[in-house]
Amino acid sequence: MAWYSRMRALLGREKLAREVDEELEFHLAMREQCNVEQGVPPKEAHREARVRFGNPNVWRERVSEIDLMTFPQTVWQDLRYGARMLRRNIGFTLVAVLALALGIGVNTVAFTAYKAFFSRPLDARDAKRMVNIALLPRSGPAEAFFSYPDYLAYRDQLHSMSGVIAQATDIESLPISGVGDTASQRDAATGTIIGRLGLLPSGASNKEFAETMIVSENYFSVLGVAPLRGRSFDAMTPSELAAAPSVLISENYWRRRFGGDPALLGKTIGLNGVAFTIIGITPRNFTGTTVGVPDFWVPLTLKPLLHADDHSQRDREAPYCRVFGRLAPGVTIDQAQAEVNLLADRLRALHDPHSDWAKPETALVWPGSPFPLPLDQGQFAPVRYAVLLIMLAVGMVLVIACANVASLQLARATSRQRELSMRLSLGASRMRIVRQLLTESALLGLLAGAVGLLSSWLLTKGTAVMAAKIFPTEYGTVIFRVTPDLATFAYVFGLSMIASLLFGLAPALESSRSAFATALKGNQGTPSGRSRRLRDLFIAGQVAVSLALMIAGGMLIHSSLHALKVDTGYEIKHLVNLNLSFPEGPQYTAERKGAMVRQLRSRVAALPGVTAITSAFAPVLSGRSADVSLNGELPSAQKSRAALSFTYVGKNYFATVGIPILSGHSFQAQSDGSGAPVVLSEAAVQQLWPGRSPIGRSLRLNTDRQFHSKTDLLPDGPVYQVIGVARDTHGASLDGSDSAIIYMTMPEGRLQDYPILIRTQSDPKQLFAAINQVAESIDPALIVSSFAMEELLHQSAIFFLPSFAAAVATPVGLIGLLLASMGIYGTVSYIVLLRTREVGIRMALGAKKRDVLALMLREVARPVLAGLLVGLILAVGCSYLLRGVLNGLSPVDSVSFAGIPLLFLAIALVASWLPSRRAMRVDPVVALRCE
Amino acid sequence: MTKTKSDTLQGTLVLLVLKSLERGPMHGWGITLHIQRISGEVLRVEEGSLYPALHRMEQERWISSAWGVSENNRRARFYRLTALGRKQLNAERENWRKITSAVALVLDFEEA
Repeated sequence: MAWYSRMRALLGREKLAREVDEELEFHLAMREQCNVEQGVPPKEAHREARVRFGNPNVWRERVSEIDLMTFPQTVWQDLRYGARMLRRNIGFTLVAVLALALGIGVNTVAFTAYKAFFSRPLDARDAKRMVNIALLPRSGPAEAFFSYPDYLAYRDQLHSMSGVIAQATDIESLPISGVGDTASQRDAATGTIIGRLGLLPSGASNKEFAETMIVSENYFSVLGVAPLRGRSFDAMTPSELAAAPSVLISENYWRRRFGGDPALLGKTIGLNGVAFTIIGITPRNFTGTTVGVPDFWVPLTLKPLLHADDHSQRDREAPYCRVFGRLAPGVTIDQAQAEVNLLADRLRALHDPHSDWAKPETALVWPGSPFPLPLDQGQFAPVRYAVLLIMLAVGMVLVIACANVASLQLARATSRQRELSMRLSLGASRMRIVRQLLTESALLGLLAGAVGLLSSWLLTKGTAVMAAKIFPTEYGTVIFRVTPDLATFAYVFGLSMIASLLFGLAPALESSRSAFATALKGNQGTPSGRSRRLRDLFIAGQVAVSLALMIAGGMLIHSSLHALKVDTGYEIKHLVNLNLSFPEGPQYTAERKGAMVRQLRSRVAALPGVTAITSAFAPVLSGRSADVSLNGELPSAQKSRAALSFTYVGKNYFATVGIPILSGHSFQAQSDGSGAPVVLSEAAVQQLWPGRSPIGRSLRLNTDRQFHSKTDLLPDGPVYQVIGVARDTHGASLDGSDSAIIYMTMPEGRLQDYPILIRTQSDPKQLFAAINQVAESIDPALIVSSFAMEELLHQSAIFFLPSFAAAVATPVGLIGLLLASMGIYGTVSYIVLLRTREVGIRMALGAKKRDVLALMLREVARPVLAGLLVGLILAVGCSYLLRGVLNGLSPVDSVSFAGIPLLFLAIALVASWLPSRRAMRVDPVVALRCE
Repeated sequence: MTKTKSDTLQGTLVLLVLKSLERGPMHGWGITLHIQRISGEVLRVEEGSLYPALHRMEQERWISSAWGVSENNRRARFYRLTALGRKQLNAERENWRKITSAVALVLDFEEA
């Protein structure tokens, strides 16, 4: 490369100077000799040689100039020249920068969101030294949760960590008392945007709740965070804490709920009926090891106090703690991981040999994150999939933007041919011209990158602030940190450079080549065949990619609308789900609870508008599953006919929920048969006795293989007799696999473990307040929360996933459409400009305006149509990728696949027609004269 | 501003040097002599600009140089045409041909 020798020359200047002198001497000597041979006297010959040569110093200077100045000066020249050119064609520059900024901006937003969600560190001082601890079994999913005794072992025996903290798995919603007005928070929540979109259960409860996070005592000191006011529980021993139960309140909740009342410090409040003293306030927006800000922080040792029935603190087999550690100074993650491995081995011996914990596992220590496991673990495949799709979509937008600007560049280059060919004849090499054009592209790219970065930062900041307001605060304020940092800058810069290359290289090569070929030709009207083909390719590419994006977006929207209308198979309107939560304590025996439920049911049934009532889980939720056998034996892993869902329901379940019985009868009017009665859904019958009536047949169930907790009601054992067939219900799982259900009768003694379903004739919301009153009168400590069944459905994955995907895909698709139309508009404008003379000639020869329009439109028709075709094919590929979220929609959804291309065609026509109008208004005389 | 004779020569200096080196390596002095002689003393290379031009051409990798011994046993720097230089030579020749034929056309134009 030329620059390499220049660098060498720069560095070896001494040697170069000597060589140059030597060459000079040689030349002068030869000239002198030549003179002498021609008869000039020697002295004269010597002098003449030097005179002829000129000043050698000037000569030496010029040589070193070439070395020194050429390389840097050229780049600087290129930059200044490029900037001048861009300023001269300000219209082109603005459009190009806008298009590119859109593409780069969209990518930056996606990148920032990804970082804000997935790469966030823990909220701690010197967060780089914090790590998460988890265990990887040989087979099966990773374990991120530990039991309390195990946590204590890690805390006390790990030397590679200077502190080990734990956090109980979930934020708990605990009823709060002693704080004055217990207004129902959910009413406030309905005012927010999410509430109004119906994406929230806007039911009502009779109690106020506070989000509580349960953490180890050393939590704040290990994280390195001091409370804003008051103190934390670091300094208190477990016995001190038991004597004076303390909590910390978050600054956010303190301001929001108590208005920043300074008297709150030291006050006592009740959580779940237990008295706690507020001893300190954590800093604003402190999230610790999670993503949201809770209302209260409770020390882990006080957990048994909160839940009197919960004995898991002493149970080594009950995992509910996430464990984090701070690396000791000088210790690496690998060293820590090795030590954790050893400790985990020792602990394994202490576990019950039958439990999961006795399985061999290796330790996984990884950089601190609010997520329980690193994203490359198998469970997160759907998340990675979604991230991949989003990245793909925004990448496509960038490609469209680049093709857009490339076609603009190409169109513009044909009008710069004269300038380029003049430079060529002045001695510039083709490479030089290409470099010049690429420098211009790089300038454009950098400018667009800066604009894109700025606008995306403002956008994400605004969205983060809005998001904090959109989500009702009772769900904890989720904190997003979206300020651009070094990684973001590097990303945007890299993206700008890649984009510049993408959109700049082809036009640069092409126009330099054509400039070279037509060095002094005067006309600049018709571009060469090759650049026309390139231009067509760019247009077709833009159209194809943005069409694919739009069709994908359209399908997602259609699918989410479709999900709304899905026939659930039962009467979902006017159905209320009532959840019960009993207070804890020894006085609430199973009998007492059962009595309370029966009382509640009879009183609610008497409320105006209520037509039916039963106890069961809502049809929207998936049930447990069991192996089924038909031959009278207990099914085993090998000998089972099928694995179906089962659920226990109250006697009048089918009437209340509105599921028709297709044959046989339901539990209400049953005859005493030999076995316990069950009702099957149609799909269940299809799997067990296809094509035949199942009435009177019997089956047995076994849940050994399936997951269940210790207190679940299990259907193992008895022989069941089928007494009826019910219509299928839909709505819980995406692929309808949950439609095969076995309904069993609920034993009387288990009523209290199930929610109550209520059918009402009036608006469900009116019922909520009445239900609360009834519950209050039966027992003030009883907690009830009611939801309308419809809204429960809206929260399930089947509805949420496509809506979320649609919400992302639509703006992306629209941006793609905007860019593609801009591209078409810009290209046609330039075509019009270039062919003004030709149009003038045609009109002078008698062409009408219509013919001129047709001429312009024909230019773009072919690439647009080709692009539409390729786009359709791409869209089919996209729908294949998206099949996971399309639930039930045909992969070639006719509405999207037919409607959107037509829409696109219309827009392309308009984008072509607008600039063509200018061509039609051309005055032939003016056109012929202008050059 | 009319082009002076030296200007014209400057623009074509590269072409002439490349051509001169076509048949084999030469040192700077040899190139000067060659051009002068073959053109019948019409074209005189301005020596002050020959070496800078040679230097630039070497950086463009059109020619390469090596120190050697001249015909009268003196140390001299010899220049050789590279493959890239050969291509450049053809390009410049073609360019020159086009220019000159265009000029000829204009000059030969007679009013009918």
